[in-house]
Order: sequence, then C-alpha cells, then structure tokens
Amino acid sequence: MTEIAAEDLVVQRGAAMLLEHLSLSFAATGSVALIGPNGAGKTTLLKVMAGLETPTSGRVRLRHLDLAAMPKATRARTIGFLPQYFEPHWDLTVMQLVDLGAQRAGHLPEGALERTTTAFELAGLLQRRWSTLSGGERARVLLAMVLVTDPPILLADEPAAALDIRHRLDVIRALAERGRERSSVVVVHDLDLAFRFFERVVVVVDGKIAIDGATAEVIGDQRLDAAFGVRFERLRTEQGWVLSASSELRAVR
Amino acid sequence: MRPWLILGFILALAVVVGACAGHEWASPADLWRAVSGDQALRSRLLFEWRMPRVLAAAFVGALLGVGGTIFQGVFRNPLAEPYLLGSAGGAALGATVALLVPLLVPQSYALPVLAFAGAWGATMLVIGISRVAGAVDAAGLLLAGVAVAAILGALRSFLMLALSDDTVNLQVVLSWVLGGVQTPTWAGLGVLLAISAACLGLAMTLARRLDVLGLGETMAIAFGLDVNRFVALAVLAGSLVVAAAVAYGGLVAFVGLAAPHIARWLVGPIHRPLLPASALVGAIIVTVADAIARAALPPAEVPLGLVTAVAGGPFFIVLLAQRLRR
Repeated sequence: MTEIAAEDLVVQRGAAMLLEHLSLSFAATGSVALIGPNGAGKTTLLKVMAGLETPTSGRVRLRHLDLAAMPKATRARTIGFLPQYFEPHWDLTVMQLVDLGAQRAGHLPEGALERTTTAFELAGLLQRRWSTLSGGERARVLLAMVLVTDPPILLADEPAAALDIRHRLDVIRALAERGRERSSVVVVHDLDLAFRFFERVVVVVDGKIAIDGATAEVIGDQRLDAAFGVRFERLRTEQGWVLSASSELRAVR
Repeated sequence: MRPWLILGFILALAVVVGACAGHEWASPADLWRAVSGDQALRSRLLFEWRMPRVLAAAFVGALLGVGGTIFQGVFRNPLAEPYLLGSAGGAALGATVALLVPLLVPQSYALPVLAFAGAWGATMLVIGISRVAGAVDAAGLLLAGVAVAAILGALRSFLMLALSDDTVNLQVVLSWVLGGVQTPTWAGLGVLLAISAACLGLAMTLARRLDVLGLGETMAIAFGLDVNRFVALAVLAGSLVVAAAVAYGGLVAFVGLAAPHIARWLVGPIHRPLLPASALVGAIIVTVADAIARAALPPAEVPLGLVTAVAGGPFFIVLLAQRLRR
C-alpha cells in the first residue's frame, strides 16, 4: 500500500525548473535510495515531500490525505526529515537536542528516549554540548533527534556525505535497515553504498525520474551511464556490484 | 537549583543596597524603620520615594532581560538587542509623541499604546529592510537596526525641539529618553508587577517554540513549527515587553543584550529556565545601575541609560569581537 506519493510535482524557482511533472510513490515499508547528478532536484524533491517547501503545482499525498492541508504537528510526527546540514544556533547538550526531537510527538511510549540513546550509542554523551562533538557523534545525535519518535516515514538528505567512510557506512546501513519495518528514503551520494544496501533505486535527472526499479535491475540499466554522463564498468564482488566510472561521457549522451 | 539561589540572593542584596544608596545614604536599620511604619520624614521619604523606585528599577530590568531573550531567540542571534534593533528607539519615539503632542486620549493610556506601536513598527521595519536587502544574517540585521535607530532618534530629537514649549518641560522628556526609572506610587508599582508577571508569562508560552526555532529554520519546520507565523507572533510579544520596559524606564541600553548572555552562562540556552533567569539578571543589573545613577554625583542624578551604556558597550564589543574571530 502506498504510504506517501508525489503527484505531478512541478517546482519552479525563477526561470529554473527544479522538478518537472514528477510523480513517485513509496510503500509503507522498504528502503529506497535516491541518486542522481548534482542539481538534479533530489533535495528539492525530498523537501517538497517532507512539507518543507511548497510545490509550484502538484501535490504530495500522505496515505489518503493532502500533505498541504494536514496539521503541521501531525506531519512532523509522520515524516522524519534528516537534513543534509544541521547546526543548532545555541550550544545545546545531546540530551536537550534529543528531547526537542522527542517533544514533537507530544507523548512518547515509555522508555523510547532511553532505547534511542542506547541504539545510537549516545548514553555516555548525554551531557556533552554540541560544539564538543565529533562529526560522527553529531550524525548520531541528528539521527536520534529525528528517529526518537519512530516516524513511519523517513526522508533523509545525504546525512552521511561529510563523514569518513566508517561512519558513513554505519549511518547508511542504519537508514537502509530501517526499511524493513518502515518507509526509508535516502538521498545517497555514494553509488556503491546505494546499490549495496537499498532495495530500490530511483535515479533523478533534470527534475524528472530517469530510472526507477529494484536495485539489481537499475544497476544493469544502460541509462544509468547517460544519467550521470559517464561510462560505468560494473564489477561483481563478494559484497555486490561495484561501479567504476570513466569519463567517456559525450558519446553516450 | 544552585543558580536560582545565587541569583535570588544577589537580587535581594542588590535591592537592599539600592535602597540604601542615594545622595543621602541610609543604613539597613533606617530601611527597617521605614518599612515598619515609622512616621518620621526621613522614613516616609525612604518608604514612599526610594523603595518604590528601587523595586521599579528591578522590574524594568526584568522586562529588559525577558525582551532581550525573546529577541535573541527569534533572531537566533546573540547580538540581537531591543536597543540595537531599533525597537527601543521606536518605543521611545512613540512615547515622545505621547508626551509632547496634544492627543485626545489621556497620556497615561496614550504612552504605553504608542510605545508599543513604535516598538513593533520599528522591529518590523528592520526585519523588512534586512529581508529586502537579502541580509537576514547577524550583520545585516544589526546594520538595518542601527540605521533605523538613527532615523528614529533624529525624528525624536526634531519632535522635542519643535514641540516643546513652556508647558512641557523638555528636561523631563530628555532625562527620560536618556533612561531613567520613574518613581511610581505603591499602587503603580502593583501595576508594574502585574505587567512584568504577564510579560514573563507570555514569554514562557513561547519558550519551547523558541528552542525549536533555535535548531534552524529547516529543522524547525520539519519538527512542525509554522516558522513565519511564530516569528511574527514572537516579534509582537517581544515588542510588547520592550514597550513596557521603555514606558517605565526610558531608553536603557545593553541590558537586553547582557542579561540573556549572563543567564545563559548560568542555566544554559534552553528557554524555559533561560527566560526567568534573564529576568533575574536584568533586574540585578538595572537595580545596581540605578543605585549608581542616584549615588554617583549627589545631589544630581546621572541618567540610568548612560550608566548601562558605559558598562554595557564594552560587553557588546567583546561579544562582537568573539563572533567575528570565529
């Protein structure tokens, strides 16, 4: 069953068309990687679907409800949004930050806060201030803030892009595994991670969907090369497919 | 618990010292005689003039602390301050109009209403200018505030020159514009207490949303906050608090800047404890500054705004330097 759907979205900012009649839907469970070249409209798509930006036309439907007409508190409980960049203006402690995330739910089930802080290995950091945290710790705090209410839908915008490889792996894996029970949609920069951990891959190019399918199909699709403007060599490894890009692009396009 | 005890103790001390201080110093024993109903002239002067004045100073300081905290929270900018953002200047212009222009309504009603309209109008003007100029960052906001404050100051000076005549004492307006707590009656002090409590209560209803706004606009919206609506509401509330402070204390510089900073060192940046802590710190600062204003050059009185500006200016410069270095 469809949990959240974008219907004929158009986003125009000035002369630029960021999304062109884009339609896309996500089920109540499943992990989806959104990939595409820079400026393709991935972030815009995610922000519109999370209710952070208003589309020029088209709408977002949450189950059978129109997102724009939904109370903001309900929307905040249903959709967890993980931004690409987060920097609080005040130097709060880890506990205070996670608590602010928890408060949007109104009422949390018993022990939810403790479970979340344990799951993201924050138990020893609760009294630390944001400014004293490392990049990996900050990413975990942000995840905990957004996921503490256990939202049915998670829309994540390259949350791991600035992390080193080990932390990136941890974060992306955690987000993909969430797709077993919930809807988890993640903009992923690293194509190998996208193809390795996610069930479905959606390729966005120029504000439109270029390819959408199960991971195994998308990786074999020759349109992938055109989407990124490179020639991919698809290498089979024990962990799955690895892409190696070479820039003989124009011929393909 | 400890910061509250410390703040409460310092405030009590400041109020006692403030009541002792003046061009003629009183001892705590004198104060005790005055409050226990002694009818001697000296005791009655202390009870009817100095004590209400000292308490009024504390409330004005509390209002400035709360107003400053709201503005810093709304603009997510530790340099935001009612005095610098033009809202205090707007309130002063409104109050000057009320004092100097013959209006159909009694001055006691016109002054707070016009002070509020001025504070709110000036703040919205500053926000509007910095938005149009595309500079919603710290520097843009402050520069727009400085420009608006300068214009409002000039307008106020013009009104004072053009409209004052023998029936209106320019000295009264001037001393008020330079900052100075008016001495209320005990009944008037009750009104001020009620206004201060209402302002703090109003601010507390904004506390959680100010915290959420502090996460940044994107996260605030994602966490369900209607950012545009809340900012408009909070600016309105902040203007109300500043207008109350200006109506009772004139233009008092930098308290709205310093009080939230000091309070943040003590209780942290979460607004629910921060707002009352800023009120206490603001009350302490203004009580002490007012005591200095009354006792420094007897028998004359130094305008309160000058005392806080001389002490608070360097504080602002240090904060600005810290921020620029980052």
